[in-house]
Amino acid sequence: MTNVISELKKDYLYNLFLKGERADGRTFDQYRDFSVERNLISKAEGSALVKLGSSQVLVGVKMQPGEPFPDTPNKGVIITNAELVPLASPAFEPGPPNETGIELARLVDRGVRESKAIDLEALCITPGKQVWIIFIDVHILDDCGNILDASSIGAIAALLTTKVPASKFGLGEDYPLPVKDIPLATTAIEFGDVIMFDPDSDEESIANTKLTVITKADGSICGMQKSGTGVLKEEQIYRIVDIACEKAKEIREKFLEE
Amino acid sequence: MDRMDRKVVIPGDLLSEEAKRSGEGTFVKDGKVYSLLYGLANDRDRINVIPLAGKYVPAPGDNIIGIVKDITFSNWIIDINSPYDGLLHISEFPKRIDSDEMSKYLSLGSSTMIRIKDVDSTMKVELTLNDRKLGLLKTGRIVEINHTRVPRLIGKGGSMISMLKKELNCNIFVGQNGRIWINGGAEDMDLALKTILLIEKEAHTSGLTDRIVDFLKKEKGAGN
Amino acid sequence: MKMIAMDESNISFFKEGLRLDGRRADEFRPLKIEVGVLARADGSCYVEMGGNKVIAAVYGPREVHPRHLQEVNRAIVRCRYNMASFSVEERKRPGPDRRSHELSKVSREALEPVIFTSYFPRSVIDVFVEVLQADAGTRTAGINAASVALADAGIPMKSMISACAAGKVADTIVLDPMKEEDNFGQADMPIAMTPTGEITLLQMDGHLTTDEFHQAMAMARKGCRDIYEIQRNSLIERYNQLGAELPVVQEAEVV
Repeated sequence: MTNVISELKKDYLYNLFLKGERADGRTFDQYRDFSVERNLISKAEGSALVKLGSSQVLVGVKMQPGEPFPDTPNKGVIITNAELVPLASPAFEPGPPNETGIELARLVDRGVRESKAIDLEALCITPGKQVWIIFIDVHILDDCGNILDASSIGAIAALLTTKVPASKFGLGEDYPLPVKDIPLATTAIEFGDVIMFDPDSDEESIANTKLTVITKADGSICGMQKSGTGVLKEEQIYRIVDIACEKAKEIREKFLEE
Repeated sequence: MDRMDRKVVIPGDLLSEEAKRSGEGTFVKDGKVYSLLYGLANDRDRINVIPLAGKYVPAPGDNIIGIVKDITFSNWIIDINSPYDGLLHISEFPKRIDSDEMSKYLSLGSSTMIRIKDVDSTMKVELTLNDRKLGLLKTGRIVEINHTRVPRLIGKGGSMISMLKKELNCNIFVGQNGRIWINGGAEDMDLALKTILLIEKEAHTSGLTDRIVDFLKKEKGAGN
Repeated sequence: MKMIAMDESNISFFKEGLRLDGRRADEFRPLKIEVGVLARADGSCYVEMGGNKVIAAVYGPREVHPRHLQEVNRAIVRCRYNMASFSVEERKRPGPDRRSHELSKVSREALEPVIFTSYFPRSVIDVFVEVLQADAGTRTAGINAASVALADAGIPMKSMISACAAGKVADTIVLDPMKEEDNFGQADMPIAMTPTGEITLLQMDGHLTTDEFHQAMAMARKGCRDIYEIQRNSLIERYNQLGAELPVVQEAEVV
């Protein structure tokens, strides 16, 4: 249900890109301003609202005891879901998550899981019987581009504010969820040989290819995903990965200050 | 309720006890006039409510800017920035062409200055290009503003738009559907875009023309 | 809803004429309204009513998909009420359930009567309500937000719609029941109406005598009227604020 982008606009954007410029004046590796509001949903164990440019994403974390998976009897469970609700964009339709929504959720999950930000064994209550289940629910409110990176910031921000609700279930006193890393996704688009980070909605709609790199606090990589129907040259990938690690570092610093 | 110069009103606000004064953006119930919309009430002979938001509804005779979104056997289907698409029939193209040549002349994503020929009661919109002043836009830029601000951009008797064309040294075509085409040097177009967006933002305020003149003086004086 | 380990007999709903949160019987909870909070939507509104946090958005009029749903002489109105998984005490599985289907229907029927749908044949006006945090009274908070979002989107309407609930707790009629009053109360009656008192939503569950029903209606009527004033002010203020930003002409936004 998206509008056709006019050729004039594509030409205009492309000409800007060739001159090294973007429509909103940013440089190719510059992120839009972002802000994080924490703990705004008191019913949730943790929550964060991220505004990245005009994009807005709300992430809520809920925890409850439950059964572990049979093959990991001593480990807690993380379940990540993303709702691309129709209020966030004319392109989102009501219904269960489509492939884009599922991919987004799995990428946010990958970051949290592969960085080992949460010690799953520490979430064990009674081995084989009861463990903590963490639900990370991403709720997109306004899609103005790059909701993946916004969701990734939101997820770790929400986890960092999460209090384990032990008292509610007679399991002792509430305590802050131990979080051991700050994984962040950084996404770049490729368009006619030009590479740009943190695309806005116009840039996203004309891009052929996206590459997301998820890094840990120490700068190492814990997740990657190429999406879109274009191709990437090897040297483009190295360039993107280098800049992504830089950007993630900057975002992490700003994020911790916020 | 008496005089109400340009007051902000919401749907259902009582505007007048005289039904005959009902104008655009109002409705009459039990002999009284109420606002239909969230907008500015304008008290003249009739009371009109100028909307502050809303979608463009096509009207015959309107000159607009459309973007081709589909091509069928005998029609281009054109996005006119409205809940309704426009249809440009092959016979309304200024040149006689065959059906299989259609995309050669107007392809997907092409922008055109085009006119609304007719709108029927089911909102079927027929467009026409049969006028030398209309046609394909090959260069320049298109900026979209809320169509409710278009009258302000044009100004009384075209005063605002003539001033802009002169001061900005650009060709400017204002579509009634809120799409505006500008063409000129790169920096002139940047300034034109900035100016148009400023007018959109402040359309409902008074003294705007003077402020825009000052704005342009400053921007051009700063060597922009 | 997760059952709180509280026993009805332990709670005294009134202390010296004040309710558990310090309100009088006829007071509604603090209400905050923000207009135009989303960039993509045609109209939007964020509402906080007590602990309820809801956001409503309107898209339209726009093309109907699937086409066969369109009506030749008017716009159809669709409404989707949805709760975020983290909005409630016990994490909710995403997606609609029977309750949200019902609330979507009654919300639509609360708003549609005032919309001039004949202005937009063959189109749809989509209303979306997302509950970000629930605290008893989400449907009325949602309707209040949706009404403002419709105005914000420029939809022509006869009037706004304002909503609130009346309830009965400890044999007393109260306005805008909070969570404990809703869970352990004796009746809950959400209502929506126009500023001139025409009712577009009326639901009730529990037990009321006809006398109590009249009392509840009177209380709800006043509540809706007060809420209407707050909705109206939020819309008026929003444009007056823009006036106050002048004349800093240099701060034009380049999109």
